[in-house]
Order: sequence, then structure tokens, then C-alpha cells
Amino acid sequence: MAERPQVLAGARNLGRDDTGDSPAARLTRLKEGDTVTARIFCFDPASDAAPRFETHRVPYTKWMRVLEVLTYVSEELGGDLAHRWFCANRMCGTCAVRVNGREVLACWEPVEPEMTIEPLRNAPVVRDLVIDRTAYERRVVALTPWLVRQEPYPGFPEPLTHRAMAPTARALDCISCMCCFSACPVVGLGQETSFAGPAPLVQLARVALDPRDGIDRGRIALEHGAVFDCISCYKCEEVCPVSIPIVTGAIEPLKALAFKSVAGKSRHARVFLKIVQARGRIDPSALVLGVQRLAALRHPLRIFKLWRRGKIDPLKTMLGFRLPDIEQIRQIYQAVRGGPR
Amino acid sequence: MRRLAAETAVIGGGAAGTFAALELHRRGVKPLILCKGLVGKSGASIFAGNLVVPGRLLGNTAEQARDTAEFLIRMHNHFLIDQHYARAAGEWIEREYYPELERAGLYLRRDDRGEIVTNDGPVRCMAAHSQGESGVLFMDLRRKQVLKAGIPWLEETAATALLTDADGAIAGVMALDLARGEVVAIATRAVILATGYADRFYPRSTATREMSADGIAMAWRAGAELMNLEIQWWHTSDVRFPLCWQRTQIYPNPIIGSSHSARLYNSDGEVFFDQEADAPTAMGPYTLQLKRLAKQVLAGKARFDGGYYSSFTHIAPNTVSAYTDYAKAFTALGKSIATDTLETACSAHYRQGGIVVDPARMATRVPGLYVAGGVGGHSNGLIAPVTYDGMLAAETVAGDLPRLKPAALPEDKAAAEEARLQALRRSLPGNGVTPAHVKKALRALMSEKMGFFKNAAGMEEALAEVTRLRDELMPAMGLANVTPRLNYAWLDAIDVTNLLEVAALTIRAALNRTESRGPFYRTDFPETDNERWLVKNILTPTANGDPNFRTEPYELPFLKPDFPRRESLEVDW
Repeated sequence: MAERPQVLAGARNLGRDDTGDSPAARLTRLKEGDTVTARIFCFDPASDAAPRFETHRVPYTKWMRVLEVLTYVSEELGGDLAHRWFCANRMCGTCAVRVNGREVLACWEPVEPEMTIEPLRNAPVVRDLVIDRTAYERRVVALTPWLVRQEPYPGFPEPLTHRAMAPTARALDCISCMCCFSACPVVGLGQETSFAGPAPLVQLARVALDPRDGIDRGRIALEHGAVFDCISCYKCEEVCPVSIPIVTGAIEPLKALAFKSVAGKSRHARVFLKIVQARGRIDPSALVLGVQRLAALRHPLRIFKLWRRGKIDPLKTMLGFRLPDIEQIRQIYQAVRGGPR
Repeated sequence: MRRLAAETAVIGGGAAGTFAALELHRRGVKPLILCKGLVGKSGASIFAGNLVVPGRLLGNTAEQARDTAEFLIRMHNHFLIDQHYARAAGEWIEREYYPELERAGLYLRRDDRGEIVTNDGPVRCMAAHSQGESGVLFMDLRRKQVLKAGIPWLEETAATALLTDADGAIAGVMALDLARGEVVAIATRAVILATGYADRFYPRSTATREMSADGIAMAWRAGAELMNLEIQWWHTSDVRFPLCWQRTQIYPNPIIGSSHSARLYNSDGEVFFDQEADAPTAMGPYTLQLKRLAKQVLAGKARFDGGYYSSFTHIAPNTVSAYTDYAKAFTALGKSIATDTLETACSAHYRQGGIVVDPARMATRVPGLYVAGGVGGHSNGLIAPVTYDGMLAAETVAGDLPRLKPAALPEDKAAAEEARLQALRRSLPGNGVTPAHVKKALRALMSEKMGFFKNAAGMEEALAEVTRLRDELMPAMGLANVTPRLNYAWLDAIDVTNLLEVAALTIRAALNRTESRGPFYRTDFPETDNERWLVKNILTPTANGDPNFRTEPYELPFLKPDFPRRESLEVDW
């Protein structure tokens, strides 16, 4: 098998090779002298009734990044575009914007020939592409995302192996850029959920999975993070510029911790387990009913839509379908319960 | 104008400023942090790639301890450092610094047996989590410590002036809250200035966006002395394209877990710098790299702005990626560290000099004004010593506060500063220019006349040109949009004023130092002259704003250069 060049890990790069959208392919898509057309979101909530888009044409320079387009517009074209950045080196995590609907770090993302550039979602716009990070920050702080030791610090260097730190290692790559927070559809539901959002949970996972931390992080994940509201859609992993496995490496381990420490309150996990045990696979309508109970019926229009799109099948739920090989599933449950820990 | 009061104002949200604030808090003093960007996210501290192992830490031998001290004094500061300060900082770093960080949760990368991973060799370093990215985790920790302590801050708020009372003592700070577009006046009797080591004077710079010599300009106007402004460091191996990756470095430091590091190649493909062979004791061998590049430039085989290359192709890819993120630029460009080479270019890095401080106390000659970190002239801004500075400045402030007069905002000066700021927020005149345009003109000029190779004639021209920019272009400066809210062009206009003033002072300082030393090179004085110039090149403000010059020798209690005079390109530091 031919050696592949540096493969980019993570959901964000799934299928990119097939669509000719790999980082290597992007280096040759545009040539010096070409023009990049950028349609940029402009809005000053203090003076403008509504946002508008301004279109600018920017000369392409070698391997150009989105940040260079923004800087060119604000410095060379005499505009007054407000956009935030500090390091231009994928470290400070402050230049994130949406390009053609997808969250990217402006400093790290190659330009496309035609781009619509918008601010991140799920945060108020201060002006143009600059968002207010305050509310996001408050969610992070509410999770006490700093190490709390139960044992006294033994002195430098403390006994610790990388093997013990491995579960938290990927979460340590987080640069708090808010790309995932913007992409998360659950955060987008606003007041309907108290879900902390992917990035705050990554910050929590950093300490929760650190063997030196000594407080009940499962409870925090549940009570302050509403971790079970994550629908595992992987939108967060798709946009993470540092390829953190946010769902599998941070949120799912936090769900496990929550179930372990406050099983009684981990309703979602308990109902999920029960349904699979009873039927052999998950049943969305039974899950929603089991978790939300009567509250699930508050949105009849939504239920109708879900049914129309084949997402739920109330009839099947009521008839109590089960997979033919259900006994095998139950044996797995037995093995896990009774087997060695 | 919003009015606030603080027991102590800390200006800067990097390693020095945050630690100063934490230490003040621990001592019961209530600080207020003013940060031009975002605490722990702006400022150059996030760029700290390596954490140096000092003294006898982690099993360093006596020889390694000596080599590490020598690296700091000789390789890193070209003997322009107070050696008593260097020793005290080193001892604190060994005793207090790493334990404090680890206790707070910083993860220093271990291997599976539990050993902290370092490079082989005389001067060792380690990494927080991943080599090259240490500063990100480090500053995230500081941000959280400040949040946890409940220390108040004003983010995206640029300090614009230090106000002094009739006796010349600090009485307040003026600032611009960028998001609200509001001028803020803070009554305070103590200021710790920690605005960092760099400024964006050149077209390519390692500084973060907001760093613009404002700390130096504010201190100068408040009556502080400056020194060694001319000693400008360069990064020699930053990626040339994309153009915005000016601080994306192909690190020349040894890769932890090995003794290997990246090599530099000229346009003919010949290796002209290999840290492993050429500079085994020089962790961050930036000056030696730069001098080797200068010789290639003279030979026509490279330019300072490109035409030479860096790569890891001689090292097993697994060695590079085991503990580092050094492959990130290659990966993002669809290239491989195993086979590919990237074109590199120079970026302006540390300004070694800065504000004159007493390095035993971090106090300036202005009562109430203290300094921590790279903005001081005493050292060059490595992350560990600047944290020591923050601790020391906080300790001194806590001791001095009872003796300092209660702060009363000098109303006339506050009003004058507000008027100055508002005057800069004016519409672009018909034939006017934007602040970005003036910045660009300054950067082009500095690049042409104040780069590595320079001489008196060119610098005199540069000074005349800076004066012309100030007298002719600045009056024609205006903004496309005069909204006060989040108006970066307004901030640019404030920056331009500071940059032009400090550029003129820097050129004068460079003209005054008639030798070459470290990364400072004059073709008309190409020798490193330890007989005459192993001194502080000090600028003192006068009534008309022009500097007076004086020099002051360094004490050399531990380490001395081993030659009186030598052609600087032949000196290995």
C-alpha cells in the first residue's frame, strides 16, 4: 500500500480526500493572481436595524488563509471590519468564524474561491465578526474546570505516568475557540436545555479524567452540564480545528462518570439501557417518552414531523417490538453485570 | 468617561501580569488587571514552546546547571543581564515555580514510566503536554487561576497613559475599553506594567496582534528611563507562507525525547544550520541561526525574508511527533515531515531592552511604577523569569503600598488624555490616510533600514523618515468609521502614536551603540566590543521629549566574555 502523507485525524476530515478537498488539494486550487470573493457579515447592533453582507474581492497570495482576507479587507480596502485575532498560529483560539456555513479558525483555514464569512453562532455579536464570549465563559467557570486535589501535592515532580494521563490527553489540546460551541445544535436550542455545550464539557473532561483530580465530576457533568442532553451528532468533532474526539473522548466518558456517581439522576442512561435490554436496540420514541415523560407530548407538531420523516414510530413502540436475537443481547447484559470488573 | 479605582493596576494579561495579580491577591492586595486582548489568550506567553530545566532540577548535573545558567546569560542575553538577578530568578524557578505550576494542575509531559520527558544534552527542556504548545496550556491555567481567585479584569481594554501627580508619582491609568468604546480612568497609586517583550514594528513579527510598544511609550511619557532598545531579536525559521503565519516556527530547539532538531538549508540545498552540531548548548539558538543566515545572505544563497528552507526530514517522523506538535504546519498544508521542506523567513522576535528597573525590586525611578517581564530592560522575556518578575513586583508593591500616597486622579491630565483619544477618533479627511496605512509605512521603513544589516547613514535616514511620518502623515490620519464600539482602527490610531515615538527612540539608541552584539549588527561597527559596550545603553527623558544618553556597566560576578573585541558574525552568541 502506498504511504499516505500525514493523515488528518478526526471527523472534520471524513471524506475530504474523496471530494478533492484535502489540505494538499487546497494548496493548488487557487493560484497567485486569482481573486478571492468574500461576502462578509457586517452588523453593529447599536446602530444597525439588521445585519448586511459586504462583498470584497481580494487578491490571492500563496497558500492564503481566511485571516489574510479579513486583514486585507480591514487594512487595505479602507473598510472598518471588526474581527478578532491575536496569534495567527492556532493557539489563542479567538479568530473562529463560519466560512460557507462551517466553523473554522480564520488563521488556519485555507481560503475558498468564494466565501461567505459569518460570526460564530450561539453567542451575541458585538460587531461584525466579533462575538461576546462572556456567557460561554460563564458556562465554563460553572463547571469548576480546575484541578481539585483531595490528596496533598507530593512535591515536584509528582508521581504520574502518561498512561494515567492518556484519557485526558486529547482534551488538553482544546484552545477554547468555540467552533464546536457554535456548531452544536443542542446549544442552539437555547433555553430549552441546560446543556453546557461541547467546549465547556471538554474543559470539564480535562480535569474529570485527570487521575489527580479528587471531586465528583460525574455529578458536576450532570447537574451543571446536563451532559445527557448531548445527542451524539458529532457536529462538534466535525469542526474541531485541533481534532479532539469531543464525543467519544470527552462527553461519553463524562456520561459514564455521571451514571456511575449519580445513577438515580442519570435518567437518560438508565432508560437507554432498559430499552436496549428489552428490545435489543434503541427506540427513539420510547427514549424520549421515558426521559421526558409527559413533557415529551408538549410539542405535537414536532412529534408529527419526526414521524413523517421516519425518525419515530409510535406504533412500533406501543406494540413493544424486539429484535429476534434478543436473548444474545440479554446475555451480554448478564456478562457485563456478572462478569469480572 | 468611566471612573474606577484600584489598589494596584496590573497592565498585561500574560505570564508576568497574571502571576503578579495572583501574588498580590495572595498577599491581600486587590489588583485590577487591564488586558489589551484576552487574559491568557493574547500576548506572547502562549508561544512558550519549551520549559527550561534549571539548576539541579530533574537530576541535572552540576555541569548541566552551569550550562543552563550560561545559556541564559551568554546565549540568550549576550551578557546584557544583571547576573545577580539571573541567579535569584534561577533559584526561584527551581524552588518555587515548577512546583507551583504542577500543584495547580499543569501537566508536564511524562512517558509511560512516569519520567518527565526532556531532550538529551547540556541544556534540557520539558513541555507542558506537547512541545511547542506549552504556553497555551500554561496560560489557560493562569486564566483559570485568575477566574478562580475572582480577580477583576478589564479585557480588550488598552491602557493608553499613566497619569502622575505633581510630584511625578503614579496616580492613575487611562484606558480605552474597546468593546464599549468607552474611555476609562482608574485612580491607583501603583501600576505593574507587564505588556510583554515584543511589538509589531516590522512587516513580519512574532508578536500577537495587539502588541505595539505601548508599555514602553507610556512608561517613557511618565518619566521612566529606557535601555538597550536597539537589541532586537529575530526568529530565523518561521514559515514564510501563508503570509499570516509569521509566528509558526520550525523550532530549532532539540526535540524532547531525543537530541535532534530541525535543520536549515540555503537555496542550493546545503545545510547551513544544524543545532545538534553547531550549538549544542544553545537552547533556542536564535542568534547563532541568525548569524549563519546573515552569511548565507552575504553569499547570495538566502534572503532575510525567504529563499531558505527548514525541515525535519533527517529525523524519524515518530521522533518528531512523539511529544511535539511540530508537524502542525506541515499537516495543515498537506505536507509530510518525513519528506517535505518548508520555506522559512525571519520575523522580529524579542526586543531585549525596555524600561529601566532595579532588578532586585522591579521598581522604576517613577514612584508607584513597577515592571514585570519582557517590557523591562533587565532581561528578555523567557516565560519562567518573567513569572519571577511578576512575583517580585507583587512582593515589592505589597511592601511599598503603605508608604505610597492615596491616589487622587489628576483631573486635568485625565481630561487631556480623554481629549487626545477622542481627537484620534475622527473621520478620514479628503486626502487622508488610515492608521493601518501609517503602520504599514513604518513597518516597510523599519524593515529596509533597521533590519539585521544597518549603518549610521541608513539609520539617520530612517529617523528622518519616522519624523516625516509623525509630522506629515499623522495629521492626515483618520478613520473610515468613527463608531466608538469595537473600532480596531481607533486602536490602530492610538498604537501608531506609540509605535512612531518608540521607533524614533529605538533608532537613536541603535545609533548610540557603536558596536555589534548578539542579534544587533551594524556594518559600520561590526565588532562585538566588550571593552566599551558591555554596558546598559540608557535613554533618559528630557523636558523637550528628546533622550539624553548615558551608559552604565554591568557587574560580571559569575560569567565574563572571553575576548575583548571580535567580529560579531564570528561570535557564537
